[in-house]
Amino acid sequence: MMENIIYKGFEFNLIYRCSYSSLFYNSNLEMVLCIADVEYIPIENFKTIFDSISELIEKHSIKHLLFDKRNLRTFHQPSMEWYFAVWKQSIKEKGLVNHYKILPDLEWFVQAVNAGKHEIFKKYNSNLLNGIRVSYVDTIEKAIDDILISTNN
Amino acid sequence: MDLAFYKEQLQAKEDMLSSTSKYLMEIQHVLKEKNEEISEINEGIFESIQFAELIQKSLLPDVEVLKIFLKDASYKVIQQIGIGGDAVFIKNTSHGVLFGLFDATGHGIPAAMLSISGVLMLNELSSSVNVDSPKSLIKLLNYQLNNTFNNDHSVAHMEGSMFFFSSITKKLSYCSAKGKALYISLNKKIVELPYTKHSIGEDPTSDYEDFDLEFQKGDKLILYSDGLIDQFGGDLDKKFTRSRLKTILSDNLNKSAEDLKLVIVDEHMKWKNTRQQTDDLSFIIIEF
Repeated sequence: MMENIIYKGFEFNLIYRCSYSSLFYNSNLEMVLCIADVEYIPIENFKTIFDSISELIEKHSIKHLLFDKRNLRTFHQPSMEWYFAVWKQSIKEKGLVNHYKILPDLEWFVQAVNAGKHEIFKKYNSNLLNGIRVSYVDTIEKAIDDILISTNN
Repeated sequence: MDLAFYKEQLQAKEDMLSSTSKYLMEIQHVLKEKNEEISEINEGIFESIQFAELIQKSLLPDVEVLKIFLKDASYKVIQQIGIGGDAVFIKNTSHGVLFGLFDATGHGIPAAMLSISGVLMLNELSSSVNVDSPKSLIKLLNYQLNNTFNNDHSVAHMEGSMFFFSSITKKLSYCSAKGKALYISLNKKIVELPYTKHSIGEDPTSDYEDFDLEFQKGDKLILYSDGLIDQFGGDLDKKFTRSRLKTILSDNLNKSAEDLKLVIVDEHMKWKNTRQQTDDLSFIIIEF
């Protein structure tokens, strides 16, 4: 089983793993990687994973989170709604600056995400978007580049 | 993974499919509405342009006036979008006939407004001033266009040429401000007529030159705008070119002005084929 991973020379330590995903952490970058390992994450497990991320953010003053969804093949609307309406609101004031996301390279999945967001923003209001900068990237390396550029600036 | 996992995943997949379909149908509906909106706007614009085209066409001169003074004549104007900046001017004076072809900068509505203004100015100038040479008319037009449109900085100007045939001396003179013309002798010799390299309206101090043109009975003259030779087309998407125009002229020298016009239009259309018209296009054919 893979314990640590290295991207662009930065070593990320495995700090949490369940049947559905793995969390890695690099203190220099102040970054957590959440990598979905399966096609689908049931909502209760999804909540557990994100609650673990919340704890890490508070404990290690993490500024950057990357959620790598490339292995996912099922988009779960209630999970996304919980993420926007509950988790994101709870984390707003805890120092997280950037939330990077990597989607599977599948047009139907992207449209499913758009449909989900559309429903959520109809139900709530666009304030849900405020607070944390969300960026879609193609690779983990690109997110690291972005962090390095913003740090150097 | 247990059965409950697969059951939840299956339900999630069904929900995902259903919400995505609903979302895409909503987008389709919005797009349909926007398309209808754009179509309505387009229709309005199209109708306006069609009406403007009728107005601009009705301002074109009567070629029969030229035929009173010269053996034969014909002309054609095909604006890029129905209206445009190419204009033909024909006007008899007390002792001859003035004729010219002008190409205003740009395309479409602004070019049409400029060329109509130019022609109206020419009409007024040639009526109010006793014109003794095409050069004086071009100079006056240059001053007036510049004074009207380009007082602060140059935005609108024209190129073209004005010819004057004197019914008294039977002599032909012309002044060309970047206007293109070919003279074709009966022996198939084709000469490009010299022109002044100043456009009209750009600089109020521009000077122009009058040229006298000796002609023989049966010789032809064609004035043309850039749109004729600059049209992209053919197998290699190249310009129509002046050389192709010269070939058409020498191959059809015995044709009447009207028939020669039809040949040029036909060749041009074949060259253009399904491509968009590159520029406004116009030409005048004269036979002496």
